[in-house]
Amino acid sequence: MQPLALLLILFVAALQRGKEMDETVAEFFKRIILKIPMIEMMTILKTWGFLSENQLQTVNLRQRKESLVQDLVLLCEEKRASLNDAALLDIVYTQFHRHQKVWDVFRMSKEPGEDSDLFDMEQFKSSFKKILQRALKNVTVSFRDAEENAVWIRIAWGTQYRKPNQYKPTYVVYYSQTPYAFTSSSRLRSNIPLLGQALTVASKHHQIVKMDLRSRYLDSLKAIVFKQYNQTFETHNSTTPLQERSLGLDINMDSRIIHENRIEKERVQRVTEETFGHYPQPRLEFAQYKLETKFKSDLNGGILAEREEPLRCLIKFSSPNLLEALKSLAPAGIADAPLSPLLTCIPNKGMNYFKIRDK
Amino acid sequence: MSQEGSCKSEEMELANTLSTHGESKGGVLAHLERLEIHMNRSRKKLEEPQGAQALGSALGTKIQKLRRLRDKLRAEVKQRQAGVKASTANVEPDQTLDMSEQEVLERKRENLKAILQAYRFTGLSGKLTSRGVCVCINTAFEGNLLDSYFVDLVIQKPLRIHHHSIPVFIPLEEISAKYLQTNIQHFLFSLCEYLNAYSGRKYQADRLQSDFAAFLAGPLQRNALCNLLSFTYKVEPGGQSFPFCARLLYKDLTLTLPTDVTITYQGMEALSTSWEEQRASHANLFRTKPLHQVFTSFARKGETLDMSLVS
Repeated sequence: MQPLALLLILFVAALQRGKEMDETVAEFFKRIILKIPMIEMMTILKTWGFLSENQLQTVNLRQRKESLVQDLVLLCEEKRASLNDAALLDIVYTQFHRHQKVWDVFRMSKEPGEDSDLFDMEQFKSSFKKILQRALKNVTVSFRDAEENAVWIRIAWGTQYRKPNQYKPTYVVYYSQTPYAFTSSSRLRSNIPLLGQALTVASKHHQIVKMDLRSRYLDSLKAIVFKQYNQTFETHNSTTPLQERSLGLDINMDSRIIHENRIEKERVQRVTEETFGHYPQPRLEFAQYKLETKFKSDLNGGILAEREEPLRCLIKFSSPNLLEALKSLAPAGIADAPLSPLLTCIPNKGMNYFKIRDK
Repeated sequence: MSQEGSCKSEEMELANTLSTHGESKGGVLAHLERLEIHMNRSRKKLEEPQGAQALGSALGTKIQKLRRLRDKLRAEVKQRQAGVKASTANVEPDQTLDMSEQEVLERKRENLKAILQAYRFTGLSGKLTSRGVCVCINTAFEGNLLDSYFVDLVIQKPLRIHHHSIPVFIPLEEISAKYLQTNIQHFLFSLCEYLNAYSGRKYQADRLQSDFAAFLAGPLQRNALCNLLSFTYKVEPGGQSFPFCARLLYKDLTLTLPTDVTITYQGMEALSTSWEEQRASHANLFRTKPLHQVFTSFARKGETLDMSLVS
């Protein structure tokens, strides 16, 4: 009689435990779902793929967000969603809202003459996770495969004694069999060396270096670093000839308007086209130049000219689309063409942070 | 003179009422517009009394001129139509005699254009650009034309790549560092090798995933270069045959066949001799034949077995 009752109690207790999702996980789910705008709710949930079609159909999207969140958390509980499932939902949300983060670019390198890259994604993932778990006892690492052989990694950092903080994760986007990884800038700077080490070792590289390139626009960073921003090529097969850019000097314009410096305008257009090309420029928001040079002036004398030490100053160019703005400077008459190579080298060199010193 | 005088005074009036261009309503261009409108108005006012009659007679002459032009064009059209009818009535089977010089040249030009376009079937072609040459590498495998890649070269000392569409996991920097400055032929051929091999491996992996999915007991694991493939397969789709795990390594990136093939099986017990033989023969097959051909032979074997069962 007694062992049977004991068994029954244990069974009921197990059931209860199974139904209850960890409070922290439930809270985590709640916070993520609250972040999602209503218009995107269905798309994001479908992309996440954890809740079934039937379950999604039962969701009423017309109710107030708080009640919707409650319904969704309940559905997740029913399906025994784990912390990892929540982390995956967080990754999906971030993939849809990648512009909300600022991304840094890291470049790895191998020793020359190494064997060819036999990259195994599963090996990489397990190796990466192991390195982080060995160093910090408490860390949550989640992976989501993406297109073009890339993987999105989400890392929630903890310490030996503290559980991982799920609300300040770092994201890494690694393109396999390339030396490049993109990481979301995180306040927790102390973890960056460990992250670098994990990436390097897991991907069988030797060194990792942070590039002087940073932007919100992950896709533009990728285009710059993979040199994929100019994909028009001249071939014999193209049926449409390279369009002759209208020089803005419309032939149909009123004949009473005469362009005084037509030749100069055409030269400027030509130089701009040679520098920037026909294609849409990758999107960056700023370029920063740290100058540590001696002050140079045309005017003789002056206090600044006499200084021996270099003058330090910081120049920052900001724009919703910096490269397009630079492209339009000369045609708009604001700057001389050709522009300074310091400005035009940005996509070629893959830099938007510069330190300029006297040679 | 009096016209100009009155216009000038009007302008001055306007100039006085409006101050600097930055403060007037609408700026310089609007100001110029207003001046223009004023000028037109004042001119019209002076011309008006004589205007109506003069206008009438001017329009009249214009109408007559247009009518004459219309009649002339109509006559020309009729003439040409008659001419065309006459020539089509006398058509000879051998039309080359009728073609003018220009048409002959046009034909030659179209021909040459077609030849230049057809060059892509050789796998390596190019087009001169304003700064150099744009090389096009068309990859192929087993007679199937696959992806094309471009390298736009700037002919300068040193020779440099302006931009390209080579995937980032192909070791372009390595190949450029070795050959671009010293031996451009070698550079292009080496690049062709890598790209064709990559295309070929990718083609095999794609074929396996799409055409022979029934033979796979799980997803095909592949990487960007398609030089490490890992999958579990059965010789008969969904049959009772033994599932083998295959791992293909292509260490040489210029080849479309694997350098290492490992076939294993799940479970600890030793295989029967027949399965062992199969395992060895499969390993050999994967090493010597393209992936999709191996599976085609599996399918065919299955078919012959079926046939034997039926008969």
